Amino acid sequence: MKLFLRSFTAATLLFCSFAGNAQAAGPIKIGVPVGLSGANSVIAPAVVQASELAVEEINAAGGILGRKVELVIADDGSGAVGAQKAFDSLIFKSKVDVVIGMETSAARNAALPIVSRGRVPYLYTSFYEGHSCNRWMYINGWVPEQQSASVVDYLMKTENAKTFFLVGSDYAFGRGVLEYTKKYIRQSGGTVIGEEYLPMDGNDWTAIISKIRSSAPDALISCTAGGAPNVSLGKQIKSAGLSMPYGNMAIDEGTAKSMGADASGMLFSSSYITTLDTPENKAFLAAMEKKFGSGMKTPNDLSVPQYDGIYLYKAAVEKAGSSEAEKVIAAMGQVSVKGPRGVIAIDPVNRHAALNMYLGQIQADGSLKIIETFENVQPGPQCLK
Amino acid sequence: MASLAQEKRAPGAPSFLSGLKPGRASLIALAGLALVGAGPFVTDAYLTNTLIKAFFFGIAAITVDILWGYAGYLTFGQSVFFGIGAYSAGLVFTYQGFSGMSIALALGAAVGAAAILGFLAGWLSFYRGAAPFFASIISLVLPIAMSQLALSGGSFTGSSSGLTGFESFDFSMEEWFWIAGYSLMACGLLGWKLVNSDAGRILTSMRDNSNRCAYLGINTSAINTALLAACAIAASLAGFGYGSFSCVVAPELLGFSLGTEFIVWVALSGRGTLWGPLVGTVLFNVTSSYLSGSMPFMWQLLLGFSFVLVIILLPGGLIPLLARPFAVNKKSVPELVEARPGEKALPEKGWPHAIEMNRVYKKYGSLSVLRDITFHAESGELVGIIGPNGAGKTTLMRCLSDGGERTDGLVKIYGNDIERFPPEQCVRFGLGRKFQNANIFDSLTVAECLRLARSIKERPSFLEKKRTLALPPYVLDVLRLTDLDKKLPVPARDLSHGEQQALELAMVLALEPLVILLDEPTAGLTKAERTRIGKVLVSLARDHGLCCLLVEHDLDFVKEIATRVIVLHQGCIIMQDTVDRVVDSELVRSIYAGTDFYAGPGRKGLREGAA
Amino acid sequence: MVFLLDCLTTSALLFMVTSGLMMIFGVMRIINFAHGAILGIGGYAAYVATARGFGPGYGWALALLAGLAAGAVVERLVVRPLYKRPLDAILATWGLGIVIIQIIVMGFGRGVQFIDAPIHGSTIVLGVSYSAYRLFMLPVAAGTSALLFLLLNKTRFGTKTRAVIMNEELAASLGINSELIRFLSFCLGAVLGTLAGALISPLFSVDPYMGIAWLTSSFMLVMVSGYSFISLMLTCLVFGAAQVVISSFVNPVLGGMTIAVLAATTLRLRSKGFSRG
Repeated sequence: MKLFLRSFTAATLLFCSFAGNAQAAGPIKIGVPVGLSGANSVIAPAVVQASELAVEEINAAGGILGRKVELVIADDGSGAVGAQKAFDSLIFKSKVDVVIGMETSAARNAALPIVSRGRVPYLYTSFYEGHSCNRWMYINGWVPEQQSASVVDYLMKTENAKTFFLVGSDYAFGRGVLEYTKKYIRQSGGTVIGEEYLPMDGNDWTAIISKIRSSAPDALISCTAGGAPNVSLGKQIKSAGLSMPYGNMAIDEGTAKSMGADASGMLFSSSYITTLDTPENKAFLAAMEKKFGSGMKTPNDLSVPQYDGIYLYKAAVEKAGSSEAEKVIAAMGQVSVKGPRGVIAIDPVNRHAALNMYLGQIQADGSLKIIETFENVQPGPQCLK
Repeated sequence: MASLAQEKRAPGAPSFLSGLKPGRASLIALAGLALVGAGPFVTDAYLTNTLIKAFFFGIAAITVDILWGYAGYLTFGQSVFFGIGAYSAGLVFTYQGFSGMSIALALGAAVGAAAILGFLAGWLSFYRGAAPFFASIISLVLPIAMSQLALSGGSFTGSSSGLTGFESFDFSMEEWFWIAGYSLMACGLLGWKLVNSDAGRILTSMRDNSNRCAYLGINTSAINTALLAACAIAASLAGFGYGSFSCVVAPELLGFSLGTEFIVWVALSGRGTLWGPLVGTVLFNVTSSYLSGSMPFMWQLLLGFSFVLVIILLPGGLIPLLARPFAVNKKSVPELVEARPGEKALPEKGWPHAIEMNRVYKKYGSLSVLRDITFHAESGELVGIIGPNGAGKTTLMRCLSDGGERTDGLVKIYGNDIERFPPEQCVRFGLGRKFQNANIFDSLTVAECLRLARSIKERPSFLEKKRTLALPPYVLDVLRLTDLDKKLPVPARDLSHGEQQALELAMVLALEPLVILLDEPTAGLTKAERTRIGKVLVSLARDHGLCCLLVEHDLDFVKEIATRVIVLHQGCIIMQDTVDRVVDSELVRSIYAGTDFYAGPGRKGLREGAA
Repeated sequence: MVFLLDCLTTSALLFMVTSGLMMIFGVMRIINFAHGAILGIGGYAAYVATARGFGPGYGWALALLAGLAAGAVVERLVVRPLYKRPLDAILATWGLGIVIIQIIVMGFGRGVQFIDAPIHGSTIVLGVSYSAYRLFMLPVAAGTSALLFLLLNKTRFGTKTRAVIMNEELAASLGINSELIRFLSFCLGAVLGTLAGALISPLFSVDPYMGIAWLTSSFMLVMVSGYSFISLMLTCLVFGAAQVVISSFVNPVLGGMTIAVLAATTLRLRSKGFSRG
């Protein structure tokens, strides 16, 4: 009987200490919702790779507060319904400590109520049309306030453009960016002589191109859905023989490169390009290459924020001294990390980050030339009451 | 829609619930009640959440099953109505705040918008002569146009981002679970009541043979449209629930991938069973919430493959297969009773002609199939129409029974101008038409066919199966003479040829027509059957005052029963007289000389009849 | 002038994309819902050829072969068993479209691929400069329709096909192998589809979902035209022009819906008109 009691106590003690250890040493789970299917599936693999690299590096360096980091990836189908599934599964089934993800605006908006309900820190790592705010959310991608101005300024000053034609896909991002661009053009003394939209999956720009031709603007600015619509527009503009200066707000480096001559002369503005000459970027690219080899997807303006977003979270947990949601949210606005894009710090009130932005132009051989660098561009008031 | 008739096997298989004893059905219902009641306490938060959404999707899937599995309308667009409900909630709660007033407003918008759009889609899709899959194509256009609309709505609809974070009902997860779960059960029950009621048989009959429906006076376009509108409202309310629960509405909810998903769920789990899609949708949603997150492309490929396989090899779906061992396949048989004679007085002197055709023409381009047809027939007459093949006899029947057929001229049924009315309206003037080939509802039983034929006389019930079947005395006579009264629970497709002919005649007579058009009613019948039918026809004309118009090749038969004969030749009436005089007429003999009329395969020629 | 060219080339593109669907619908009375995926196969065939450095001619040849193979397999395995169940045939071809697209995704990835146009830039036509490759679509479409016309009206295959279209039972009783005719028509339809996919790809881009955008318009065009290629050509001209008009003068978003809406109302109203005689 005595023996039994002793062994029972021992067993209980053992169990408790195990449980206690598990609490301390159990992994920190990072949920990554991403559009593995649907519109974002083109970009998603790069985002997943960036996340994997970040987690591998962090674990190799001892994890966060001594705890290992675990990645839980969920497909959000690039849309609202899928995002709800993904967030439900991440937050309520996998019980992740944080959600860090690059998603469509529809997916983000659909996720916010779930994030609020689940009380989990949420780092949104995509550029988007701006002004999305939630107590649990921080954002480290650019918004139009940081992006449009450089393109418009360049067109007006260097190319002497006075009249602009705006073309976009009819969805939140396209409309949002061009709306801001229009405002900025007017403020700067230019005029918008045309603004046309095609459905989100529309590829045939013929009628719009004819309109552009007949209104003969000094410059053209487009913001379409990624992939096919963007490519089709570029091609059709070229083959129609239009040659006015052209700023493309939605093109990524990979697409520009593969478009080759059809994209030559296009202006773009972004917070990351692979040719950035900083030690952090070089180290990042080398690590990517080492980890993924020939399977590496070109890092871009969406996958790199994902990478530094994970480091931001690490910094916040370390500052908070715990992975407790409330504490992490409080700490997130007080930390900064130096990543491939430079120093990233998110404002605790405005919830968006000041970023270095690069104005570039695509050359005839598909390579990118940086025309101008704008350091520390402010997002403007986003979530200020 | 004729080609559709051949699809009967797939969906219309007797549902296993329809044969259940009430005891067993209520047992299942009770089990469901208990399951939903206990649900939130046995599942974790994640599963509860997934199930609530699955329940709302399940309601939409049930409407898809009613429209497609029962009524034969394959729709890719049910998501539109689901989305409309969700957007009603989203828009109203976002812009009007959340209050009792705004709930009423949102519900009103959900119901109203869905009904209007349902009617519009119905009007565009269902009209006489529309190809069966035309409605499907329209249903494909609908979600594309609607999601485009939502995308172009700018900040009002939130464009691609949709609306989110609006205030909504303050229910706990358990409460939501019960609301969604019991709504799904109620919808399932209501749908089950509907499709198994007498009125519900109309849906199956339209899928089987919409042409026969029209000639039974059933306005298939109107019923299809009304059904679509009703299903639209149900789906919209489900969407309203979904939107209010998730506080997220986005164009995706209107889009056609969701509409297609509904179809996939229904097809895989068993169309035309109601409970199959109900269970299946919930199962698929739960499974996919565990699987698709980690392997989205594999999941879709798998789903696509099994979808194609099931469509080709197993049109009944997977879940009924599992339940087959438990199926009880007992058809209830109604008791035949004599219908009280209608209010309508028998035609008397002074009434207009039973049939009046005045200068009727039918042309195909420059070819005239009927020329200057003018005749009339009276109550109590039995008029035979004879003529060689291609003389225009069947065309004449068509012009009498469908206002849209003739090119020119006037047709009146008891003084009612049929104008350009469709067949169902002509039937309401007192017209009955029996086709040359037995035109019946293959997958319905004899009793169901007859009940359907009575639907313009006795509005079938939406909620129950009547235990008696009231028919006019002469219909009972036909049934007794042909022994069909002993075959009431037999599906029509299993009857012999002669029995099918008799069944169609009985169906037409069940309309209590004043004028009856018969296209070769004795073709393929035995001598004995022919004599019996002859007696029935004579009694119809003599005792019940019907006007019978009879296209017939069997001159013996015509001679026996007809009071008068009209001879058609090359689209013209060349003679109207008594049988004897027509048969003896030199003119008629000369016309038939050299035509293949004598040698019509398997038919008795004029000469034989005249001999 | 540009406007006129827009109308003409848009119609030509529509005709190219729709003719394969029409071929199948005309003979088999089945709408091939996998048509979008078939266009995609053509696009990827062209991509594979040009990415390996072969000229566009090889791309077209590859597209033709791919179409033939896809058509043969699909007809045998999916369409034939469902010939008596047209609604199920729609569904099965639809499911098949999903499968084909997923296979393309697994083979080539979700990304957008590029095909260089064999004819670059713009040419001056009647005083305006216009995209050369779009202009090239005009003779291509005209040639296709001429070939189809000859095939259906001047060859034994055409005679037999028309017989099957008019009255299949009668044709069968006359010793025409209607099953073979259906098989060949389906293959031809698929080939027309993949060729169209290959031909339009330099104007747009190649991605797994490239065909979906064309689906509804082409379905509606076929429904309106009935069973004849001549009326398909006219319908493409009229509705294509209407689309350009709405896109140019009203709103491109509405322009995208023009064909569907116009076709649905036309069908609704015309059918009534027909019943009036």
